[in-house]
Amino acid sequence: MSIVEEVLEITLRSLAVSGTATLLASTWSVPLAYILAKPGRLRGLIASILEALVGIPTVLLGLALYMLFSRSGVLGFLHLLYTAKAIVVGQAILVTPLITVTACRVLKSARESFEEMALALGADDLQAMAIALRESLPGVASSVVMGFSRAVGELGIALMLGGNIRGATRVLTTAIALSVSMGEYDLALYLGAILVAISVLVSVTVKLLEEVQGP
Amino acid sequence: MIIELKGVWFAYPGSRRYALRGVHMRVEGGRVVMIEGPNGAGKTTLLKVLALLYRPVKGAVLVNGDDYWSLDPRTQLSLRRRVVYVHERPILLRGSVLENVALGLKLRGVPGAISGALETLRAMGLEYLAERKWRELSAGEAQLVSIARAVAVQPELLLLDEPMAHLDEDRRELLVEILRELKSRGVGIVVASHWPQDELLRIGIDRVVRVVGGEVRAL
Ligand SMILES: Nc1ncnc2c1ncn2[C@@H]1O[C@H](COP(=O)(O)OP(=O)(O)OP(=O)(O)O)[C@@H](O)[C@H]1O
Ligand SMILES: [Mg+2]
Repeated sequence: MSIVEEVLEITLRSLAVSGTATLLASTWSVPLAYILAKPGRLRGLIASILEALVGIPTVLLGLALYMLFSRSGVLGFLHLLYTAKAIVVGQAILVTPLITVTACRVLKSARESFEEMALALGADDLQAMAIALRESLPGVASSVVMGFSRAVGELGIALMLGGNIRGATRVLTTAIALSVSMGEYDLALYLGAILVAISVLVSVTVKLLEEVQGP
Repeated sequence: MIIELKGVWFAYPGSRRYALRGVHMRVEGGRVVMIEGPNGAGKTTLLKVLALLYRPVKGAVLVNGDDYWSLDPRTQLSLRRRVVYVHERPILLRGSVLENVALGLKLRGVPGAISGALETLRAMGLEYLAERKWRELSAGEAQLVSIARAVAVQPELLLLDEPMAHLDEDRRELLVEILRELKSRGVGIVVASHWPQDELLRIGIDRVVRVVGGEVRAL
């Protein structure tokens, strides 16, 4: 395999793993954000815990999951360790607080204004929810993009749960770490540029899609 | 349709202060009630309780004699659809004015929502706004559009929160005409305002209710 092919393969794996993790995380983070976007004691408590977890060190989460997934761990029977699936699960957990907290902020104002307006105009609960969600779509999409950007750029989980196995679990960040350790700084920078470009492209694409959809 | 508040107390979630304190009040079709009082008195809160949006902490909301908050959800919905509340600050959805005005009809699954909306805009002399985007409206235009959106669903009770706030003299005149017409068709109208509005007198106000510190005094 040529170096170009290998870089391409690693890039595609990064996209697939982190993309899947982000979408997976969104399936529970966005509904959770919607529920938390109402005043209430318990809701406030959960929200502040999640806010504190936004910056959780990836190595710490990686280590905790490593212990769960290892052969002697509680979830060892799943045989997930050192697979791409393990990275997906880990990154999905990692970005859950970030997506939930940022989406919650958008949904809070949407629920206060749009949801109440819809109810006042005769919407049933589901219709009101749909309207609030639709009006906050651009904001929720940005939270998901932020989540993806954090997932694709993290190292600790990919390294500890994936093991940086060539052709199986090597992603951009672990490849960068490896090149650096081998003194291949040019390659490391090249891979880093791809990483940043991916995040920027995804963000810009989402913005463009919103504009096509119309104001 | 008659909505009656019986000793209603209301506090916002997370707040220990009561925004409404033992309110008794009655609104009905064909009557115009004006709610006045200073900023923070509880006018908006009162309108939202009347609009069946806020559930009182204590006391009852009777709709045609039934205790609204102990009815089943389907009956609640069908009653709530006959009352419309228009927010103090217009809340419009992304899209055109026409789509916004059609919203209430769409939510009710009425066929021909768009043409119904256009008819309402025409009747209110606002046809020229139909194709405008929600962002391309002045404050006064947005207010008129949100009122049109409420009128379009032909409510039996229309609750307006500071409807005149951004309107110029001609538009205030226009709104008075519209409200007078609605009243003559048997629609009940409640208008909240923190300043006395002589124009409104010409709709034929049946009752003025003064709210101070969450308490109601009829004048
Ligand atoms: N979302 C909220 N959460 C907590 N308290 C609120 C909220 N909205 C209003 N209040 C409180 O309830 C009281 C009544 O407010 P309300 O908005 O009904 O007043 P208002 O008479 O409509 O005032 P204005 O003339 O300024 O519109 C005020 O003391 C206000 O502080
Ligand atoms: Mg008010």
